[in-house]
Amino acid sequence: MSETEIRIEIRNLVVDYGDVRAVDDVSLSVGRGELVTLLGPSGCGKTTTLRAVAGLEDPTEGSIALNGALVYSASERRNMPAEKRGVSMVFQSYAIWPHMTVFDNVAYGLRVRKMSTADIRSNVMRVLDLVQMRDFADRPSSRLSGGQQQRVAVARAIAFSPEVLLFDEPLSNLDAKLRVSMRVELRELQKELGITALYVTHDQEEALAISDRVIVMNAGRIEQIGTPEDIYRNPRTLFVADFVGNANVIRGQAREAAAGGEVDFVTMGGPVLRAAAGHAQAKGDAAALQAAYVDIFAPGRSDVPNATPGTIHRRMFHGDFIQYVVDWPCGQLLVRRPPTDLFVEGSAVTVSFAPEHCVVL
Amino acid sequence: MNTTAERRGPDRRLGRFLVVPGILATIGLLVIYPVFFLVTESLNVGDAGTFPPDELGFGNYQDMVSDTQVLWNTAFVAGLATVMAVGFGLLLAWILTRTAIPGRARLERLMELPYYMTPLVGALAWGVIAAPKTGLANQLGRLLGTNGDVLNIYSAWGIAWVMALFEGTVAFVMISAAMKSMDPSMEESARVLGAGKFRVALTVTLPMILPGIVSATIFVFAEMLSAFAAAFVLGIPSRFIVITTVIWQSTSAYPPEYGRAAAMGLCLFVVLAVAIGLARLVLRKGSYATITGKAFRPRPLRLGARAWPLVTVCWAYLTFAVFLPMAALLMTSFQKFATVIVGDMHFTLDNYASVFRQGAVASALTNSIVLGLGVATVGSLLVGVLTWVIFRARVPGRFLVEYVVMFPQAVPRLVFGLGLLWAWLWIGQALPFTLYGTLWILGLAYLTVLLPLGVRTLAGVVLQIDKSLEECARVCGASWVHQMRTVTLPLLRPGIVAAWLLIFISSVRELGASLFLMGPHSKVIGPAIVDAWLTASSELSAAMALVQTGVVFIAVIFLLRVTRRYSGDPA
Repeated sequence: MSETEIRIEIRNLVVDYGDVRAVDDVSLSVGRGELVTLLGPSGCGKTTTLRAVAGLEDPTEGSIALNGALVYSASERRNMPAEKRGVSMVFQSYAIWPHMTVFDNVAYGLRVRKMSTADIRSNVMRVLDLVQMRDFADRPSSRLSGGQQQRVAVARAIAFSPEVLLFDEPLSNLDAKLRVSMRVELRELQKELGITALYVTHDQEEALAISDRVIVMNAGRIEQIGTPEDIYRNPRTLFVADFVGNANVIRGQAREAAAGGEVDFVTMGGPVLRAAAGHAQAKGDAAALQAAYVDIFAPGRSDVPNATPGTIHRRMFHGDFIQYVVDWPCGQLLVRRPPTDLFVEGSAVTVSFAPEHCVVL
Repeated sequence: MNTTAERRGPDRRLGRFLVVPGILATIGLLVIYPVFFLVTESLNVGDAGTFPPDELGFGNYQDMVSDTQVLWNTAFVAGLATVMAVGFGLLLAWILTRTAIPGRARLERLMELPYYMTPLVGALAWGVIAAPKTGLANQLGRLLGTNGDVLNIYSAWGIAWVMALFEGTVAFVMISAAMKSMDPSMEESARVLGAGKFRVALTVTLPMILPGIVSATIFVFAEMLSAFAAAFVLGIPSRFIVITTVIWQSTSAYPPEYGRAAAMGLCLFVVLAVAIGLARLVLRKGSYATITGKAFRPRPLRLGARAWPLVTVCWAYLTFAVFLPMAALLMTSFQKFATVIVGDMHFTLDNYASVFRQGAVASALTNSIVLGLGVATVGSLLVGVLTWVIFRARVPGRFLVEYVVMFPQAVPRLVFGLGLLWAWLWIGQALPFTLYGTLWILGLAYLTVLLPLGVRTLAGVVLQIDKSLEECARVCGASWVHQMRTVTLPLLRPGIVAAWLLIFISSVRELGASLFLMGPHSKVIGPAIVDAWLTASSELSAAMALVQTGVVFIAVIFLLRVTRRYSGDPA
């Protein structure tokens, strides 16, 4: 990524609320056309970071640049007001103004920019088309369902063709089914228009599905930055392993502290597993294993990697998959199998997984 | 790129830091300064006319404490009235929030009516209805052959009855708010676990709403202690004296005993302030139900034919508090002679002619309306700014502003008027223009005592406006001014209109603060009614009271239209 392609650049950002440090030394960048997600539990500082980019929070330290121009810098005492930054934002509550029609809501940013009436009309209709809300233009916006408000909020945010779009948990107020379909639509729209986006969510599934890169945050700090696959497969910390996907955390100790490659991992329960060595700073006292990477075979198999005996303790049918709780020497192991892989509760089995999927932390 | 505009300039910061001290200083001057004068005057045991006092001492306080009859009267009437008012409030709140009686929605709306009638009007009207000998009820009783008087409103019970009727609505509003804030699933889960209706009421419902009831009781008691109108109108004829009557008497006596009045006023103020603090504390600490602030409508009890007694209770309350007094006043206002003898009535329109033509009365009415319009306009703008500063602006110390603005709530109106009188008399000597005896000082007083009402009205609206609605405008590129014009103000409009109307209504019916601040050339309608009742005739005061109530009700009708229009179109 060359320098000119960077749209959002945050350096050493610190935001304090009184005595509480909400954002603690966060640095990140978002390239042109990229969708980067800030993922973390509530109170981890992800929304505060996003609002600092928008100009809605006053940071304490650090700098923020948009399209190469500094909009906030503590050392230069520079803090550009929100309305001058040219970014756009979709709010968690949608923030649809109830005293305006759908058209007026969407046209707001264009009117502020003093566009001609004809241009405003064509632009509003274009974006309402994009979100399939053209027929609702003259509706009072207080008479919209949640999903419709969501679409209007998106249309309003993209109407004035901003270079940078910020999303603050835009789907969290929708019901589960709608959330999944809107997720697809948002990604389509973002790709189609080539929008650069910073996206905040606490829903790890949503973050993995929608992003080019995911930034996992915890207690105001960045835990890990990577592609969705990378974050899922190779968590770097216990927190990431616990928060992303459905990882089992196995306690024990890695035999040698080699970075990269495979190592022996001595579990507290007894068996020695072959595991991926993890990154250079790994402490080596735990390993993460996603539930979906574990195989279950009939008892007594030994020709598979990390073959370990176990007993099916509980079986839960989820539709798309079956979740097993397996008693094995290291306690209980969560395993997700396709709905065709049926084992009876109480039966003896062999569990198995590839060394590269069991990552030493 | 224009860098100077983007820098966080020192001037912008300075402005932010000056907002709060500026507001605090202004409002502090209006509120705290009169109280300071009260304190000084209450310690004045020398010549009442000199300021600062020659001699200081606690004589005034000793006098007050030694007058046990007055203290006992005050406590007795206030206690009795509180019990009755909370009883009314509790019963009405239970009926209107928990049962499915016919016409419930309409009744709930009508329950606001007594609040808009003033206790003064109520006291005058009940004087007409139940005064010994001449009272309509007593005449009716004699007609039916009873011995002596059926009712005597000129008594402790009578005063308490009238005060309770009008304060009952306040108790109703507070208690039904507590009832509505309780999630019905709390009771339902107790039922599901096997508890009977009675057990649920005792173990779940009552503990949940008890803080609301206790806090309403304390609040109502404090209001009763500092109430003036009913005790004055109904107590004077039978020489039943309470603290507020003494305050008025000591200042109108010759020579005036300002020190005594100030000592009593201060004690009232302290009791009221402590009580309001206590009521808030009880509500906050003891309450589990109101934490969410969500309103629930529990599934109402279906009562069938048994609903009719409850409907009757509601209508009876409205009849005693509103319809009957209005009818009595209406009848009296058309009479020619002071005593209404039912068999010997002479109808006339003279009283209304006096209201509109007789110089003093007509100008009092005009002054009240002009003051109302002015105070409401300035007040609602001020309230808009204050509320925005308290709840939205990111400035240091904004919570202090809330405390100072809400402070007048704790000062009894009568006492505040007294303090303001001296404060401005004294400061007036140093000013190049006269303030005392003009409408300006009344306007200033109204503004100060009505700020809490306005802020409370608007706070609800401001808090309902999601902050992101404003932020979104900024992110869309709107400047602060543009955002205020296109988003904040339009959303606040119903709240500002409601605040305007409420301030107008309260100005027109103001009595306590006006009594002392009214000058010979700046009469207003509330005290003028009292004057007419003392010096002229009850028919003229009835006509004046009705005209005052008429002005208030016109404003109320506008208020209802405004609130209905906006509540029908959910924001």
